[in-house]
Amino acid sequence: MQITGQLTLTVLMGLFLVIIAAWLARIEDWRSYTPLGSGGAAGESGYVSQEKPTGISRWLTTVDHKDIGMLYGAYGVLAFVVGGLMIMVMRVELLDPGMTLISNSFYNSLLTSHGITMLFLFGTPIIAAFANYLVPLLIGADDMAFPRINAIAFWLLPPGALLIWAGFFPLGDIIPAQTAWTLYTPLSTGAGGGNQANAGVDLMILGLHLTGVSATMGSINFIATIITERAEEVTWANLDIFSWTILTQSGLILFAFPLLGSALLMLLLDRNLGTSFFAIEAGGTMLWQHLFWFFGHPEVYILVLPPMGIVSYVLPRFAGRRLFGFKFVVYSTLAIGVLSFGVWAHHMFATGMDPRLRASFMAVSMAIAIPSAVKTFNWITTLWNGKVRLTTPMLFCVGFVSNFILGGVTGVFLASIPVDLVLHDTYYVVGHFHYVVMGAIAFAGFAGLYYWFPMFTGRMYQRRLGKIHFWTWMIGSNITFLAMIVLGYGGMPRRYATYLPKFATFHQLATLGALLMFVGGLVWTYNFVVSWLEGPRVQDGDPWNLRDDGMYTNEWQWFQDRQETAITDGGDEDVVADGGTEE
Amino acid sequence: MSTDHGGDDHGHHLPAVEDWPRGFGEASWWPFITALGAGGIYLGAALFIVSGGSDSTIDPMIAPLATAASVGAFLFGLYGWVYHAFVTEFWSSDADEKTASALRWGMIAFLGSELATFGAVFTYYFFIRAGTWPPGELPHLTGSLVIINTAILVASSLTLHWAHVAIRNDSRRKFVLGLLSTLVLGLVFIGGQVYEYYEFIVHTQFTVTSGLFGSAFYGLTGLHGLHVSLGGVLLAVVTIRALAGQYSAERHVSISTVSMYWHFVDVVWIFLVVVLYLGGSLGA
Repeated sequence: MQITGQLTLTVLMGLFLVIIAAWLARIEDWRSYTPLGSGGAAGESGYVSQEKPTGISRWLTTVDHKDIGMLYGAYGVLAFVVGGLMIMVMRVELLDPGMTLISNSFYNSLLTSHGITMLFLFGTPIIAAFANYLVPLLIGADDMAFPRINAIAFWLLPPGALLIWAGFFPLGDIIPAQTAWTLYTPLSTGAGGGNQANAGVDLMILGLHLTGVSATMGSINFIATIITERAEEVTWANLDIFSWTILTQSGLILFAFPLLGSALLMLLLDRNLGTSFFAIEAGGTMLWQHLFWFFGHPEVYILVLPPMGIVSYVLPRFAGRRLFGFKFVVYSTLAIGVLSFGVWAHHMFATGMDPRLRASFMAVSMAIAIPSAVKTFNWITTLWNGKVRLTTPMLFCVGFVSNFILGGVTGVFLASIPVDLVLHDTYYVVGHFHYVVMGAIAFAGFAGLYYWFPMFTGRMYQRRLGKIHFWTWMIGSNITFLAMIVLGYGGMPRRYATYLPKFATFHQLATLGALLMFVGGLVWTYNFVVSWLEGPRVQDGDPWNLRDDGMYTNEWQWFQDRQETAITDGGDEDVVADGGTEE
Repeated sequence: MSTDHGGDDHGHHLPAVEDWPRGFGEASWWPFITALGAGGIYLGAALFIVSGGSDSTIDPMIAPLATAASVGAFLFGLYGWVYHAFVTEFWSSDADEKTASALRWGMIAFLGSELATFGAVFTYYFFIRAGTWPPGELPHLTGSLVIINTAILVASSLTLHWAHVAIRNDSRRKFVLGLLSTLVLGLVFIGGQVYEYYEFIVHTQFTVTSGLFGSAFYGLTGLHGLHVSLGGVLLAVVTIRALAGQYSAERHVSISTVSMYWHFVDVVWIFLVVVLYLGGSLGA
């Protein structure tokens, strides 16, 4: 049975690669993709495509924040597709209670890799994509503070992904890790000699460490950029909301990821060199959980704050009003950033830790609801009496707010110890955090992708398909995750490949919703690929008619200047390359 | 040469005008090569683990060779990077306050991340220290060696600060002297640590696998030792550049950032001595 599952996955992956190959082959002049990619800032002209070499080496050598943003974006989207295909196999397996399509251990492998892929290989990089492309434009900087560190932070990611997925490749007796993304000790130290003693876990740990190094380098770069590279007219008082969330997120990464890095290395040493960091008589089972969740909970805010920034940035453009209570949105961002380090033990309420400690973590966890609600009410109030235009990015923003409310409110219940003890490790938890990570974070990501698509590609997507994508996802995600919430109330434990027949109906509902999202995903892929190749070219620097409402912003101004420069220059290739290198 | 290409007030500063490949403003092979090397080092570690089993079919030479090649690529990439980004064109590149402040903020942020890196291992130590103590037989920790080594590291911080003050006063001889003595003191410190390891491992049979305290001791001192070694490399780089005549009262950003790093590692050591050496032997 395991063979069938692996075959399915192989065929899906193969199909996916063929599609990419076909797409690459179709782009006739992909070597000189420069619609808007080459450097430059407002008011400057004369250096259109001479700042970079052509061909593939242009992408390997680039230190331009916009190019690196595109690389991050391609990487993140690719990882999203891989993680999405993994979950589709799992959801189909869960159509019936027994073990039919794939083996239980392969299900565990997919479960582990789906989580790690979505959080580390999609979530963090796709945010870095937006941040790289946009932050320097928004704050009027020439580039990131450290352009080369920016490039190396990206190039550390592909080897990281290879190591994380290594178990899926046919490499002797290495099997994919089955630790779940939390890697709880003592099983993950290889104790007991079960399948978690396999070297696949070591490779995944190494890959995770590498991606963590990359994220840390990126965060250092964003902190230095936002603090020191702002144009003179960009002050702390009028810094845009997206850059604020990136600054806060980078601060969280700075303390969360290196801590995870050390913990991962300690785990690796325990597994391979006979140290006893996480031995039962040393740190026991609790030390790992404390270290992991001290990283793991801020990680949630690392992933959610910038998407909140995107929504806070995009939503007002289509409401025709400035963001309501801007200052309070900034303050609530900072408040969430600070509080996020004081809530980690709410993941451990069921471990039997000291009840006094537990109660204080409950209080802080509940306090996070306040800044989150501040944001939510500000988004809603921004829409109030606004001139709302339901374009695709706006639909995704509204979907974000709606799903975030559901994900947030279900979270408040989990923060309460007595409720948590009942719902701990059930599908309720899965439903809750998927409302946030898929319903909110991914939705905001797509809001951003649609909103800036004209800027990234110079072309417009098909609006009708964009709306179909939104509605399939909005309906699909709510069917799936609501079914999970109900399953959790019924007592269905999470992480299992099989279940009691009484849960079948809601599992089938959840799979139905997932299939709906799969269809939406196909529509989105088709729309983006075809529109990038053949969509109508954007004629001016204001594709969203923001000027009508006085909502025009820096990055579109840059886009317009770039377009005008490209037209007047007419692709003149004869300028001496970057005259500045010769004395 | 100026990196300002705009010709007007809104000039765009290109980040990599002097770099390989030549003749482009926004292209550099160094990050890619460095990342390739770094990724290869992780791959080498993976190969060590995979080929470590007794029934492995992988040639035992592959892992060390892959690792060595990767380390080479990594160092080559770093060399080219530092050379093109900072060393060549040192006197003509921009020395504006913005660049300097970005570099300083970069170092401050990096040191913030270091707090978390050390924090995880210290947390382990506090976990076991709060339990039954001692958790087994401890080696003799507070000898004369650790006192001398601590004094050496503190002295190296002082000499580095002295050198930093000297360059701000454009006193080149004192500056170079200060850097050289810091480097020597750093090397002596590392030598002392190696000697301590040697004593513990060979004569006391206290190794990394000697139970709970062994993990804490070698985990913490090892992590710190790695940082001192990296600091030694950074010091060597700036010392060589100083000997080659670089730096002046106006241009000494890397002296500032390397100093920040070195003082940080020094402070971590003092904390480490207090909690691990003194705190460990207390009540044992």
